[in-house]
Amino acid sequence: MDQLVDLLKSAMPFRMVPDNLIRDIAGICTQHSFAAGENIYNLGDTADDVYIVSSGSVQHILGVDSGTSQHEKTMRSGDIFGWAAVLEGQNTRLAATSSKEPTEVIRINGKELTRLFKTDPAVGDVVMTRFATMINKEFYVPRTISDQVPGFKQALVAKSLQGSEVTTMALTVYRISTWLKSPRPYLMLIGFAFVLGFWYLSVEVWKLPRFVDMPGPTEVFTEWFSEDPYYGLSIYTPEYYKHIGISLQRIAFAFFLATGLGVPLGLFLGWSKSFREFIFPLFEVLRPIPVLAWVPLAIIIFSGSETPVIFLTFLASFFATTLNTMLGVESIDESYSRAAYCLGASRWQTFIHVVIPGAMPYIFTGLQISIGVAWFSLVAGEMVSGQYGLGYLINTAYMMIEYPKIIIGMITLGVVGYTTSAMVRMMGDYLMQWRVRELALGDN
Amino acid sequence: MSAVIEENVGSLADVTSGAINIKDVVKIYDPDGAAVMAVDHCSIDIPAGEICMIVGPSGCGKTTLLNAIAGFHDITSGSIHLDGELLCGPGKPQAKPGSDRIVVFQNGALFPWKTNLDNIAFGPMMVGNQSKAEIYDKARSMMADAGLSGTENNFPGEVSSGLRRRVEIVRALMNDPKVLLFDEPYRALDSLTKSVMHEALLEIYYRNKVTIFFITHDLEEAIFLGHRLIIMSSRPCKPKKIMEVDIPHPRDYSVLTSPRFRELMNEAKDVVHEEAQKAFDAGEKEG
Repeated sequence: MDQLVDLLKSAMPFRMVPDNLIRDIAGICTQHSFAAGENIYNLGDTADDVYIVSSGSVQHILGVDSGTSQHEKTMRSGDIFGWAAVLEGQNTRLAATSSKEPTEVIRINGKELTRLFKTDPAVGDVVMTRFATMINKEFYVPRTISDQVPGFKQALVAKSLQGSEVTTMALTVYRISTWLKSPRPYLMLIGFAFVLGFWYLSVEVWKLPRFVDMPGPTEVFTEWFSEDPYYGLSIYTPEYYKHIGISLQRIAFAFFLATGLGVPLGLFLGWSKSFREFIFPLFEVLRPIPVLAWVPLAIIIFSGSETPVIFLTFLASFFATTLNTMLGVESIDESYSRAAYCLGASRWQTFIHVVIPGAMPYIFTGLQISIGVAWFSLVAGEMVSGQYGLGYLINTAYMMIEYPKIIIGMITLGVVGYTTSAMVRMMGDYLMQWRVRELALGDN
Repeated sequence: MSAVIEENVGSLADVTSGAINIKDVVKIYDPDGAAVMAVDHCSIDIPAGEICMIVGPSGCGKTTLLNAIAGFHDITSGSIHLDGELLCGPGKPQAKPGSDRIVVFQNGALFPWKTNLDNIAFGPMMVGNQSKAEIYDKARSMMADAGLSGTENNFPGEVSSGLRRRVEIVRALMNDPKVLLFDEPYRALDSLTKSVMHEALLEIYYRNKVTIFFITHDLEEAIFLGHRLIIMSSRPCKPKKIMEVDIPHPRDYSVLTSPRFRELMNEAKDVVHEEAQKAFDAGEKEG
């Protein structure tokens, strides 16, 4: 028992703790031995106990996401580890530990320990503060983890943490590396392989009856990457890029127009009740009309072949953007605007500082939908009217019985469409750093 | 805590503004013809600088009273004065929200899209009668005083909930309010964090004495923090019992185990339990 008390006293966080409390703590300790190389706990295990090394040594390896500068360390007699057990809201292990030689450790249940500290809040606070300082100094944990230590005074960590700001860059690298480690990219590849395989087998091997006129992947890819394409369209012909360029131009024009008009309109619809009552019913009647139904009218009203296509593309985007922006404004918790008024903000200031940023997540959801439907209506428009563009390419290839070009046009649409959509998402992440950082940390 | 603070910590004599006078306030909700009386001829006098704890069962109409003071909605009759000036009353059913009375909300209302520092600087920046540098200097030093250094550039979503509450209180104090209105701000916190928050709040209060109108249904919290407890009857809401908490300030956690604390606790418990039972029997919805 005395030996145990001595060991506890030598452990940094428990130094200067009054004897009676140390004896109470000793009362909840249990002793365990591990053979050389034995695992003590693993990353992600449930954290119930705090450990103190009494003899031997323990290898301590922190997980990648613990934001540390030093991953591996050796714990020797009197060293304490496994502090996740006394953190609030952190009930899994952040490191893996194993014994390096025959080792004796003392185990203290984290909950019991916190309970003991509560009986003597003054001492408990000191020990907890030491825990937090130690965690910070030695492991350089993200600030959020040290915050979970009950009763921990922020000011103490302030200095040691300034350098450990998790940069956006590090976060991106971290995300990519976890993504590569997860099964997701490989499942994705299997998905692609499955579709390509089915296409190849059905057309070129099994020659299914309805697939007779369908070009197979060999033909399509030979054409697409040929320097001298049979049907005159490949990645080496300027015409290919002209189709892509024209489509992109139309998308960009229509999308920015829809955003420029739709976002302000949506904001005002959500913000002002009387404005909404005036405009919204009209909006609700026009919105369900499919873009294709507008085609004849668009051609009649607008001159030339270019304007009708842009108008059709704009239309669908505009409705999606406006509606989502309006929902975004409505979704904002009333306490935010109340707080703004309390703090002396005018109605207009509240609009700028609360309504617009508060609606931002919905606005970007709207823009994601908007860019998607823009491509949809663009192709519809280009098939009916216009010259050049991917929709036009697909339609004329069908008329001219140049079937491989249809597939090339389709795959190109997929790739270009995905790229624009990813750009919108990146723009949203850039503008909403607060959200990216919040989500990266999980909900706390 | 410095000696200077400790000397006059208990006295409210040096606090000159922030007296709230609630007189015969009635609030009747009439959403669809079925009139519901939320507050019934409620009169409360809160002297300047007092921590006044409003205790009552959930949904008894405490928040209605707070919203009336803050200016979030109107009252049916009666009047509320702040330092003799009419906030709302005859001819002016709804008070205008302003930075002399700042609410700390139940679920917290820090703007998640602004950093902690920008949140704290928000009020003065909106009012705009100080330079930006002045405002940010003050914000930084207030954060340091409250033990929040190092979290200036974090977004509220990145720090613990206890810390967020502290940022929110500092944000309110940046505007030199006369009154802080707390709407069960610690309801969602676990008891450990709560106890730390209580001491932190008292520490902030000893430094900047403002009137505190604090709604809670946690008796321990009420007695630990308050100069006075006003126990409300269940809906319609009106004061049922007023209790002076004669435990001297400054207080710390040793107070919780003192015999006097237990006595007050028992005294309050009987009254509150009776009201809670009534509210439960009436099947009222939490509000």
